[in-house]
Amino acid sequence: MASERYSFSLTTFSPSGKLVQIEYALAAVEAGARSVGIKASNGVVIATEKVPKSILVDEHSVHRVEEVSKHIGMVYSGMGPDYRLLVKTARKKAQQYSLVYQEEIPTAQLVQRVASVMQEYTQSGGVRPFGVSLLICGWDNNRPYLFQCDPSGAYFAWKATAMGKNYINGKTFLEKRYNEDLELEDAVHTAILTLKEGFEGQITADNIEVGICDASGFRRLDPNSVKDYLANIP
Amino acid sequence: MAMTEGANRYLPDYSSHPVQHHFSPYSDNGGSIVSIAGDDFVVIGSDTRLSSGFSIHTREQSKLFQVSNSTVLGSTGCWCDTLTLTRLVEARMKMYEHSHNKVMSTPAIAQMLSTMMYYKRFFPYYVSNVLAGLDTEGKGCVFSYDPIGHFSRSDYRAGGSAGALLQPLLDNQIGLKNQEGVTAAPIPLKRAVAILKDVFISAAERDIYTGDGIEIKIITKDGVRTESFGLRKD
Amino acid sequence: MSILTYNGGAIVAMKGDNCVAIASDLRFGVQAQTLALDFEKVFPMGPHLYLGLPGLATDTLTVRDRLKFRLNLYELRESRKIHPKTFSALVSNMLYERRFGPYFVEPVIAGLDPVTFEPYVCNMDLIGCINEPEDFVVAGSCTEQLYGMCEALWEPNLKPDDLFETCSQAIVNAFDRDAVSGWGAIVHIIEKDKITSRKIKTRMD
Repeated sequence: MASERYSFSLTTFSPSGKLVQIEYALAAVEAGARSVGIKASNGVVIATEKVPKSILVDEHSVHRVEEVSKHIGMVYSGMGPDYRLLVKTARKKAQQYSLVYQEEIPTAQLVQRVASVMQEYTQSGGVRPFGVSLLICGWDNNRPYLFQCDPSGAYFAWKATAMGKNYINGKTFLEKRYNEDLELEDAVHTAILTLKEGFEGQITADNIEVGICDASGFRRLDPNSVKDYLANIP
Repeated sequence: MAMTEGANRYLPDYSSHPVQHHFSPYSDNGGSIVSIAGDDFVVIGSDTRLSSGFSIHTREQSKLFQVSNSTVLGSTGCWCDTLTLTRLVEARMKMYEHSHNKVMSTPAIAQMLSTMMYYKRFFPYYVSNVLAGLDTEGKGCVFSYDPIGHFSRSDYRAGGSAGALLQPLLDNQIGLKNQEGVTAAPIPLKRAVAILKDVFISAAERDIYTGDGIEIKIITKDGVRTESFGLRKD
Repeated sequence: MSILTYNGGAIVAMKGDNCVAIASDLRFGVQAQTLALDFEKVFPMGPHLYLGLPGLATDTLTVRDRLKFRLNLYELRESRKIHPKTFSALVSNMLYERRFGPYFVEPVIAGLDPVTFEPYVCNMDLIGCINEPEDFVVAGSCTEQLYGMCEALWEPNLKPDDLFETCSQAIVNAFDRDAVSGWGAIVHIIEKDKITSRKIKTRMD
């Protein structure tokens, strides 16, 4: 086909050796809503803010924290539609793994596979990189995992991290608050505090979303449970 | 059936071509026989299950036929053939007795059975026969057959649906095959009966056509003694 | 003529007390004609993992190679040793990919869990239906004979030496009543920190 002959990757090197498309994608992430993740001794928490564009939006109709498999969940900063495609891909990868090996996909494996999809979108013809960074949390091998996945396909393991708008401030806050033997309950508390730092307006159970993962698996906290955590915050 | 439409009514369409129907003259009713000969005795056992396919006709049908004071014929396979064959054997033995004024010896019955089987070379009795008895010198002997009358004398034999499962076990335990540092000694009656029970228990584990119980006939110079023993009934 | 018995071969695997045994015969033939007496059908797939592939000899080698390929990729990708249970899922998955044009092999897997050293045995049919009993598994051209032997000889918690004896007696006496398998046997005993492989001399007819 003639169109195939001219379908080259949109992500091409600039003369200085940079891939500016990826930098633009990272800019989209940095403009996106903030999300945080913290590893605790007995689990891992991910949280994000979800400020509706208008007060008329039903904030319970969409979720930013999603379950990928029984013991893996993820959240994002950046562009919502791109995220949903990655959620779909990640869930499919998890199921493909179970189909072949009859066991749950290890978190590290899922991250590797999602990252390789994100990398493909930086080199393939006719596509653009994803405008999102992912925080993927999981529990296997009797320990928690927390990974960040960037548009370039790069991924990192964190003890705690923040992404999105003013993420530098979030990270600085976490650096001060984090310690190795944090329990999951405290981690949730700290995650919410990190979001509260520089939150525009009043933080409520409806404008943040929290997911936790421990030995019993991954689950998204319902607004009532979030409300209980918020009650302990001055 | 094909239907034809005529005046809004559906009627069966009578086909004009010939349809071939099959008659199968044989059925496999299962069952196993094991016989072990000693110096001055022979034991023969059969299970008591009579089945066809996945259904059990009866749980108490012996497959052993005492044809004389020192000979027992065990016969499994197509049960109707077994019945016909054993009745014919008994009739022919009567005729022998009348014309020769003596009871047939075990080797003579063995030879006659072979002849009777071969007589139906092209429409064979579908049976697996094991003939056990004392020979003219009072020694135990076992004869086994294929469906068209080939036979051979041995010291032990397993036949019927679990024949393949049991024969190597008898080779090992009684024939002492593949055993080092053992000297062949005549097998005592007690051990022969014990082995016979053991191998049937094993066979009943894996062969669905063998089970429910066993009938054991012990042939010595004093005549024939019968014992029975329960097997799993599933 | 069944393709599964074209070349002949017998395999048995048994669980013991903190150990497993897996044995195969050594014959390679084409129907009644024996061509080789050193054709092992059991292959190491890891430090505590053995795979037996009786059936059509060409598929034995192909499946062995293709599984080794998948296994190597798995171990590089996940940088860990595969669990026997996971490996059997892998084998099953590969066989079912050829559901309508199968490899003519009936795999047997024996091994110890790399973490807990729990004994594991399983077998499957040629399209990958897994069977995981707690005693023993058999496969090949004399399964009836093997079942008869194993059902009588096997008992729970056999120590490595007794397990070796039980396993060898089971396979040798079984294939002596089968025309297309035998001609020597090899038995592997897998223990936590020792693997013993012994060739057994048998009757050669």
